[in-house]
Amino acid sequence: MAELLLDPNIRGWVFLPIVVITFLVGIVRHYVSILLSTQKKVELTQVQDSQIMIRSRLLRENGQYIPKSAFLARRHFFNNEETGYFKTQRRAPVTQNPMSDPNMISEMLKGNLTNVIPMVLIGGWINWMFSGFVTSNYCFSIFLLLFIFGRSIKINYNFYFSAKVPFPLTLRFKPMLQRGIELVTLDAAWVSSASWYFLNVFGLRSIYTLVLGENNAADTSRHLQDQVSGAAMSMPPDPKAAFKSEWEALEICEHNWALNGVDEDLLGSKYKNVDDIDMYSQSSSS
Amino acid sequence: MAGVYDNITWSEARNVLRTWRENSERQSRDVVYIWESILKQHVDKLGNEKFLVLEQVFLAALDCHSLNLSEKCLKILMTEFPGSLRVHKCHAMHLEAIELYDEALSVLDSIIKKDETNAAPRKRRVAIYKAYGRIPEAIKELTEYLKKFMSDQEAWHELSDLYLQEQEYGKAAVCIEELILHNPHNHLLHQRYAEIKYSMGGYDNMLTAKSYFCQAIKLNPNNIRALYGLLLTVNHISLSQKCPASKKKELAKLSTWVSKQIDQQYKLKNSNDDTNIKQVEDLLAHLQLEV
Repeated sequence: MAELLLDPNIRGWVFLPIVVITFLVGIVRHYVSILLSTQKKVELTQVQDSQIMIRSRLLRENGQYIPKSAFLARRHFFNNEETGYFKTQRRAPVTQNPMSDPNMISEMLKGNLTNVIPMVLIGGWINWMFSGFVTSNYCFSIFLLLFIFGRSIKINYNFYFSAKVPFPLTLRFKPMLQRGIELVTLDAAWVSSASWYFLNVFGLRSIYTLVLGENNAADTSRHLQDQVSGAAMSMPPDPKAAFKSEWEALEICEHNWALNGVDEDLLGSKYKNVDDIDMYSQSSSS
Repeated sequence: MAGVYDNITWSEARNVLRTWRENSERQSRDVVYIWESILKQHVDKLGNEKFLVLEQVFLAALDCHSLNLSEKCLKILMTEFPGSLRVHKCHAMHLEAIELYDEALSVLDSIIKKDETNAAPRKRRVAIYKAYGRIPEAIKELTEYLKKFMSDQEAWHELSDLYLQEQEYGKAAVCIEELILHNPHNHLLHQRYAEIKYSMGGYDNMLTAKSYFCQAIKLNPNNIRALYGLLLTVNHISLSQKCPASKKKELAKLSTWVSKQIDQQYKLKNSNDDTNIKQVEDLLAHLQLEV
């Protein structure tokens, strides 16, 4: 295959600027989303519901540690047909359509503003500005290596850009790595500028964590995950259904007092040591 | 006590305060000391942490009743965050400390109005009623709070204490049951529950008390209070009219076991001091005679 010789200026004016631009855009996005974020208002009934769910779960799990009468009284409080909490509390059914909630719309708008729009704009701009350049997908790691060993990059120009990828890449990688360059004969190891941008967008995650700390808003992959599972997560759970399942679970919960025979346990073999045996002989003699 | 913190740099002092804040340790006297001796001069080096430190020092100053210091901290916080509910709560606490209870209550009410889900101001209201000495009102307030925030363990504990003050043992027991549900392996809770049941009296309650004292001892064999409690309870039961004769032997066994255990505990603690053991033994004999 013919050796491809790249202009060293490509490194200075295409390769590195794309890294810097994506990085800076990520930082700006982080701060913009902080500015735009609003604290979610929680309803008092929501707090109450979640706390009562905790309490009822604890009753199911640790109910055997309280006397039977106490357990039954609590279950009565939750489950009684006429007066029980799970039976009397009527919660308005959750709105099925998120569009009907104005808060939800503004939330979505803000999400778009900080995620999708910069992605499209900057991506488009990079595509337009740097279109047609080819960089090597190996050069970034080589660049780092050179940097680590403190060598001057200048001496190694030839080495730098004529580096062969140590592993062969199949043609399938071409649409991923060579977006915007439709050359059939080009080796799949070369990366186009647009693809380099996308690699950066997804690859800078750990750098953001380093610079901005955990849980930063610049982390795109997190947003993508949110979008995937977001439809289910953003909807408040339906308290009615939760109450019903909790009511059922509590209804079939049996109470076996854990403290039955605890006094025999104390006297039993578990605590038998030399002194105890001594004591037994004493008590039987007396 | 404070001498430990004499020769540390300001960054070390900051780290000390930070760990205390993260572990929510009060250490009020030390906090005030560190502030006065070291951090006061270096406030501006703290950056954004400054306000967290100020809040911590404010609370510590209230604990130590150094009202001048707390007022200073509060003023800085108020000018920096005039709309913050957290600072408003601090303001209410300050008013509470200088015994302007009605003003404090009105501040707290305004916070609750703005943010209904904020638990802290509601608890402060209870604290104010308690400071007034109006226990029934405090209980009412606290039950209202617990209707909304049902899994707040601290609140249940406080409610049980308030009920005990009013000698409503049954209700106090219910609160402790709730805590046992949250923390079934805490021997102190079992011990407390047994004590309340013992105080209520009656044969059935005594049996319950016996079981819970036993559970407390099982969880922590060194719990001397539970050991004494069990001894008293067992003796009480065996003297009761309702106790069947078949059970009495078992109870006697338990009673000797417990007294032996208590004896052992004291022997372990004062293995050098024989006179003390003698005294305890005398006391024990006395105790059994009396019941």
